[in-house]
Amino acid sequence: MKHILFLLMAFIPGFSSATLKVVTTTPDLEALVRSVGQDKVEVSSIAKGTQDVHQIEAKPSFMIRLRNADLVVSQGLELETAWLNPLTVGARNPKILVGTAGFLELGPGLDPIEIPKGNISRSQGDVHPGGNPHFQLDPIRMGQAAMIVAEKLSELDPGDKTFYLQQAKLFQNHLQEKTKLWEARIKKTGLKEIITYHKTFGYFLDRFGVTGVMELEPKPGIPPTAGHLLEVISVIKKRNIKLVLIENYYDNSAGEKLKQEIPGLVVLRVPVSIGGEPDVKSTEELMEKIVAAFESVKK
Amino acid sequence: MRSAIYLLSFFLVSSSWAQSNSLRTPNISANALFLYRSSEKGKEDISTVRNGMDLREAEVAFDSDVDPYHRLSLLLSVHPEYTYNAGTDRIEQVWKIEPEELFAESLQVPDVTLKIGKFKAAFGKHNPLHTHAFPFVDAPLINTAAMGDEGLNDVGVSAALLLPTPWYSEVTGQFIRGEGENAEFSSKTPSDGVGLVHWKNLFDLNDDSTSELGASYVKGKNDLGGQTILTGADATYKWRPAEGGRYHSVILSGEYINRSLEQPGTAAEKVNGYYTFAQFQFAERWSAASRFDYLKIQDSDSGFNSHSLTNDTISRSTVGLNFSGSEFSAYKFEYSWGPEKKIYLQANFTIGYHPSHSY
Repeated sequence: MKHILFLLMAFIPGFSSATLKVVTTTPDLEALVRSVGQDKVEVSSIAKGTQDVHQIEAKPSFMIRLRNADLVVSQGLELETAWLNPLTVGARNPKILVGTAGFLELGPGLDPIEIPKGNISRSQGDVHPGGNPHFQLDPIRMGQAAMIVAEKLSELDPGDKTFYLQQAKLFQNHLQEKTKLWEARIKKTGLKEIITYHKTFGYFLDRFGVTGVMELEPKPGIPPTAGHLLEVISVIKKRNIKLVLIENYYDNSAGEKLKQEIPGLVVLRVPVSIGGEPDVKSTEELMEKIVAAFESVKK
Repeated sequence: MRSAIYLLSFFLVSSSWAQSNSLRTPNISANALFLYRSSEKGKEDISTVRNGMDLREAEVAFDSDVDPYHRLSLLLSVHPEYTYNAGTDRIEQVWKIEPEELFAESLQVPDVTLKIGKFKAAFGKHNPLHTHAFPFVDAPLINTAAMGDEGLNDVGVSAALLLPTPWYSEVTGQFIRGEGENAEFSSKTPSDGVGLVHWKNLFDLNDDSTSELGASYVKGKNDLGGQTILTGADATYKWRPAEGGRYHSVILSGEYINRSLEQPGTAAEKVNGYYTFAQFQFAERWSAASRFDYLKIQDSDSGFNSHSLTNDTISRSTVGLNFSGSEFSAYKFEYSWGPEKKIYLQANFTIGYHPSHSY
């Protein structure tokens, strides 16, 4: 009888524990929320680090995770719109609908870059009208995001406000310290210009003073074409670019072509999200991977 | 008709200067389906699709939160309809604009979605799909035979409850009007309704694959004085690896439907059949698909009522190739054989609000 009662309790919303249930859209935000909330939150991510967040499928099983959630944390700036709206509505949980206290969109509050100017249209590819949503590769903005998350957790659980703010500050300070070291290491590589597959590295490059000259995609969301790759090859040769970074959820066929055409060019597929490789478990480890990619280029 | 077009133009123009999250305008999107058909039987066929080029359908969708409690969705369909004019001995085209769906949904009721309005009934896997989301150009034979060209779609109320199980399990109960757009349920008494129950279950087998099992039951009075009963079962397996899922995926799906059209004093007309299909995405923008359709009509008393079918057993095979240039455009090339050999080429374009990725 006791077992049946326990089983029933597990199914009844809000009965099982007093911790805040948080669902994030990406593993980077999952780790961030865990750093801030520690054992006072129960957190999981919808996307995996090996997946392109633009293209997640709205699996109804995600609604099961969302139906008891107290808070949804997203990167925002239309990164997850196509699949997150059907999931939050399908979860039938009024607490987490867009616009309520249980829905947090971090991107707009983090001073977005690359906000398109003038008239935009889909002829420009998959553009984000609010700016680049991939702030997970900027350790400074991740620190600011931690503070925003701490404020939100405090709003939902005022009793632990001091704890959340303290943890967020520790997280932010640690990343700020590390950023100085990463900055110095990237400066030492002497790389001023690189090429990437998609604009995922926008914030990273901006933070560390490197220019992303162009992307392998002719337009955001459009796979590389032969004509565009010829242009990329000519730019690489002309500007003596030494490094091409490819987000590791894209295949390497375009990268292989570049390597064939330009001997000595370093083309690396790197994780751009926590969990993108099995040993990348924190923002710090993710940044280390990308900084190491810069350092792998011989002077 | 003309006023409807003005209304549409107004919404489309007004949306161009308003952000999608503006309070002044709802989310707006439009979809167009262009079709080329070449069939050995096409010339004498009077149906929604004829040989040659055609604008198959345009859909214009609006949706927005009404207030903290409700959300309203409107989907207008513009499509040609063909009728035979005996006077001129010609097939004439008439443009129709109609609300394919128009419903309000609840936002604040925990665990349940309540819905009121006109909507596609939650029967099985295929019936709730809009034309542009069909996996193949044609609807399955059994769906068209059992529920008509437009499927089961009418004015009613709906409640969809998410069960407190560890997997996704949803029970939907719907009650739609009887004297509506579905001939198989057109009771002469307007208050006679049609009751529907649908149970949908989805299991995550692992991070890469899911399986879905569904069962449906519908019962309502027909205009022959008897009951029409629809039963259905569906199963779907989907695989999209968490690593490399951008380039490869598989869908295997099948649905069985049975319809019994009862009438006093004679045997019920039985319609049953199934379809199974497989879709394999072999590159980022390319997928190949094939489907097998089977339909059997028994104990039909042709001529005793206006909508009886002809006793027959039909099977159809389809193979297709799909190309998606982006999330907003797609092309289908299909060849099918069975009752007739035909080729389809379909182009599908969407503009406006970012469409939802349904699963």
